[in-house]
Parts: sequence; C-alpha cells; structure tokens
Amino acid sequence: MSLSRIALFTLACGIAIVCLTSAAELPRNSDYDYDPPTPGSYSLPVVKPAADGALLDSNNKAINLRDLTRGRITILSFIYTRCAAPKACPYATNVLGQLHSLSAQDMVLAKNMRLVSISFDPEYDTPQRLATYSENVREQGSGCEWRFVTSKSRAELAPILAAYDQAVNKRQNPADPQGPLYHTLRVFLIDRDGRIRNIYSSGTLDPRLVVADVKTLLLEEARVSKQ
Amino acid sequence: MKTPINSQLEIAAIWHVVVLVAAFALTFTSGLARADETCSSPYLARIDGQEEFVYVWTLGVEGMGDGADKLVTVDVKPGSPTYGKVVSSESVEGRNEAHHGGFTDDRRQLWLAGLESSRIFIFDVHTDPAKPKLTKTIDNFAETTGGAIGPHGAYALPGRVLIPCLSNAKDKGGRTGLVEYGNDANYIATHWLPTKDDPRDAADAKFADGYGYDARVLPRKNALLTSSFTGWNNYTMDFGKLTADPEAMKHFGSTMVMWDFHTRQPKKVFQVPGAPLEIRWAWGDKHNYAFTATALTSKLWLVYQDDRGEWQAKEVAPIGEAKGGVLPVDISISADDKTLFVDCFGDGKCRVFDVSDPQKPKQIYEKQIGKQVNMVSQSWDGRRLYFTSSLLARWDKQGADNEQFLRGYAWDGKELKPAFDLDFTALKLGRPHHMLFGSTKIGANRATVASRD
Repeated sequence: MSLSRIALFTLACGIAIVCLTSAAELPRNSDYDYDPPTPGSYSLPVVKPAADGALLDSNNKAINLRDLTRGRITILSFIYTRCAAPKACPYATNVLGQLHSLSAQDMVLAKNMRLVSISFDPEYDTPQRLATYSENVREQGSGCEWRFVTSKSRAELAPILAAYDQAVNKRQNPADPQGPLYHTLRVFLIDRDGRIRNIYSSGTLDPRLVVADVKTLLLEEARVSKQ
Repeated sequence: MKTPINSQLEIAAIWHVVVLVAAFALTFTSGLARADETCSSPYLARIDGQEEFVYVWTLGVEGMGDGADKLVTVDVKPGSPTYGKVVSSESVEGRNEAHHGGFTDDRRQLWLAGLESSRIFIFDVHTDPAKPKLTKTIDNFAETTGGAIGPHGAYALPGRVLIPCLSNAKDKGGRTGLVEYGNDANYIATHWLPTKDDPRDAADAKFADGYGYDARVLPRKNALLTSSFTGWNNYTMDFGKLTADPEAMKHFGSTMVMWDFHTRQPKKVFQVPGAPLEIRWAWGDKHNYAFTATALTSKLWLVYQDDRGEWQAKEVAPIGEAKGGVLPVDISISADDKTLFVDCFGDGKCRVFDVSDPQKPKQIYEKQIGKQVNMVSQSWDGRRLYFTSSLLARWDKQGADNEQFLRGYAWDGKELKPAFDLDFTALKLGRPHHMLFGSTKIGANRATVASRD
C-alpha cells in the first residue's frame, strides 16, 4: 500500500469518526476517562503571544498569520497532509472536524470560534492540495470558519515553526508508513487578542477539553466586558 | 458535500480498512499516552531501545575540581570504546544544590534545578547529545513566580514544563507551589499547594500542609498527583543538626494531593505521614494507581482509584525492618508494572518488590549498592539500572561512608549484576544526583524542514 494511500485511509477514518460524533455529545472513552470541567470554573493563564508570519491560503492568496489569530478564539493546528500516524495529524484534524461539526449546531461557537490548519510541508501541501484536503475533512455550509494555509517557501515557514516551538524533521526513510516527516503534535488555543492560552498534544487533545476551554474564554470575555 | 472518491472498489476498501485502522488508532493512542523510560513524563518522546548516554546532574564540592555544579555525560552504548566513561562535563556557575531535572516534551532541552539558589539551568541536549551545552539560566525564579523557591525538577507537559517546588521565599518553610514555564523559558503560572486556610475546595483539606515535592500526571484520568517533603530551612541544614532539632523535625510533609490536571485545581488531600517523596504512576491501560515511599517512616504507599472511582491512599508494605530507618528515597517502577526498585539511603541498599498485586507488594530481592545510595534510573526494557549516591550536600554521609558514584547494573529479573562503576570523587566531579537518558536517535529539530536543503 502506498504512503499516500495509507494517509488517505487514515484520513477516511477521521471523516468517519467526525460523521459519527458530529450530532452527538462527545464521548468519554478509555483515552480520556474523566468528566470534562465546567466552563468558567477555572482560568487559563497566558502562555505567550501568538506569533505572526507570511502564509498562503487555499486560494493561493497571501495572508498574514496574525489575521488568523485575532478577532476570534482560534484553534490552530500544525499538520501535513501526508501524515499517516493515526494519533498525529489525522487525529488533530479529526478533532478540529468534531469542533467544526459542533459549531454547526452552536451559534455561539460558529460566530466566535475559528479553526486553522497550517501545513509544515509546503512543497507537497500546495494551496490546491489543501483545498482538496479541506473538502475531504470538513462539512460545507454552516459551522465556524476553518482555514487551511501553507507557506510560499521554507524560508517563510521557518520563523513560524520556531515561534510556535513546532519540531519537525525528515524521517530517514521517506517511505516510512507513518509519513515522511517526524514531528511533535502541537495544537494551540489562542484568544481573541492573539494570546496563546493553552497548548494541546497527545494525551491532552480531548475535544471536550478544547470546547470547555473555548467556552471558558468566552465567559472570561463576558466578565471583562461587564467590568 | 465531501469530495467523492471515484472508484466504488476504493470506497468499499476504505470502509473495510476504516474499522481496522480505527482499532489500530485506539491502540496507538494508548501507546503514545504511555511514554518514556519508566519514570519520566508521559508527554515525552520515549527511548524504548538502548539509551546512549546517562546525563548526571552533579553537585559541586568545594576544593574538588572546579568546585561547581555540572552536567556530566556518561557513554553507556554497549561496545563503545568509551562505554562507562565520562565523555563530557559542562559546569554551571557556582554551587546551587543541584538536585533534579527533566526534559521538555520535544526532548531537545534539559532543565536542571538548583534547590538552594533556585536557579534553573537549561541545556541543549539535541544539537549534540554527547556534549550538552548550557544555553540559558533562569536566575529570578522567586521574583517571577511570586515567591516560590526550591525548584525540585522539571516535568514535561505539552509545550511547557511543570516545576514542583519545595519552599517559599517568605519564611523558607515547606509551604510551596507548582510553577509552569513555557519551553521558551517564559513564566506562565504558579499554583500554590492547598492549606487548611486556603483549601480551594479540596476534600479533606483539614489535613493540608501546603508542602510539595514531586508532581506526576496520569493523562487518561486527568489526574495530577503531588507529594511533600520539607522547606529550604531544613534541606539546607546539616543532617545531624536537623535530626537533633525536635522543632525542625516537625516541619516535614505528611500529605499528598490529587489535582484536576486540566484545571490545576486541588481535589483531595491524603494523609500520608513521613514525607512521601517520588511518585510513580503505573503504565498499564487499566492500572489506575501510583506508588510512593515515605522517607521518614520507611513505608510503601499506594494511591489508587477504588471501585467507586474515588481516589484513596493506603500504606501497603514496610520497607526494610519494621522499625524503619532505612530512609527510602527514590523508587523506579518497571514498564510492565510488576517490579518496583526502592533505593534506601540509610543502609545503601536497593530493595526490589514484586508489585504485581499493588495492594500487596512483596520484597523479592535486595542488593548492597554502596555505603549510601540515592537515585535509581531504569531503561524501558528493564534490563539496565543506574544508581547514584548523593542525597543533599549537607545530608550525605561523612568520612569513608561518603562514597560518590555512578554505578551501572544489569537486571535479569532475579539479580543485579555490576556493569560499570564511576568514582565521582576520584574523577574530581562532585556528588552525582539525578540521572536522565540521552540518545542521538530521538527528538526532532525545531525547523529542520524549513531550514534544511
């Protein structure tokens, strides 16, 4: 089975899981065997400012990362579409898919949340490929904004990866069944003012926690606006 | 509408594989959630094969070599011409009561803490794992954290490190907190341990003493567990003077705290008298328990989830003679959760327990490691164990009993067999304390894909 086929199959798994869970409550499972916290019952300290950078959107239009990390509560995920490691990029995209589906049923989330998937594989993940990829992983129509972006060059990508502490390396075997790149899984929660408020990775990227965090930030905004 | 996949055969094949891959994904998920060589953070990339280096955070000794604390790197690659030898040593400024440390989650940085100075030294262990380099020092810890001092180590969380502390700048007693820094060394938050006066809704807060020591996470249960030791006033005091001071001896921790990890809120306080130190969560997918050892009372304790899902703590076995006094300090659980190694500073022995039934540990073996022994680190496959000797600069034994070593052993499931022995005094290095493993085969570069070619 070719690498791209493995990635496609893994992606298909993600689609299937999104479809199964989009209309139902997100389940407790053996990986996340606890009840999520009540939104607003805790605080999310600022980690650091979300850095800017030059990107291309899936229409091949130049865009600043800053414009995707301000104005809404943003869930930002670093991915590459050739990744076939089930608990890495396909899982992260699956979680964003679940959030997108939930936002289709929740006007508050639809209006206030933004999802961003940034590729760190710019040579393969062209704007055209990302456009196709996005059609495969998200429901069209309602739901919050979900942007898929890549970069024009490795030189433009480098400072973004450094600023977000995103480790990426080429695998020695480019035909590795898990994909040609080795990387840490990083998904960021960014508030409306462009400040990173949480960082998720394997073991913490529980969609129930992400939803609780987004709603916690919304409640924080409401409290601040009353003062 | 999703983009249709052209071939009907491909659709059928994909849906057939969906089930298989989904099952694999769940398995793989669990696999990723359990990581590192038996005692480190589950958020770390794990060395599950042969470790290549042992990094030893070493206390400087006045008049010995340069007298400074240092990170000593020892080659442990079997067959290497420098196997069991020091291949690099990088000193930091002065003596800081070098104690524990830990990697960032990407395993590119090693953060090493000084208990007395409250300084944190950050080493790059990725560029050249054989020669770690000091890249940054945090020397305003107390001011930045709102008064927490005595950073005990560094525990990897996604994109950040959790630093459990031992003391506070106000009275230098045992009241303390958990501190978070980002991987870029940017301060994030301080979470103070609950006390009777500041219970923060924790159950059984009437026992809360506010003391800290270790902090460990069981991700799939969203559980953060902390233990307790003593404050700056005590751990910087001469050991003989301390034990002769009844008032000082009252100021040791006697609690553990279960936290909601995600919210960093304390949920329940356990009475665990006698200074519960290192925490080791079991690794099994359904093993909802952790062990600790109490230094002053020489007991093994189990923190576990009962049939109702409630977290409980109970004493499960004595360590050494029933009269106590062996001073258990470090423990190491095997990856299969069947074996627990317990280092006892008092008599210099490593005691090995069968913990297959966590409620009923049984000692199955013991080995005299030295005149004194403190830390133990175990490879993921359980075949290699490494021991160091130093506890604290003013608590180590005196005279001929003050052996200072790194000793490697092979474990075959029945006995420990010596592999190599490094005399840190003869090498003029100092007092070896915490050990962590390194490898050239792990850890991705921050921007390699973008900067290479």
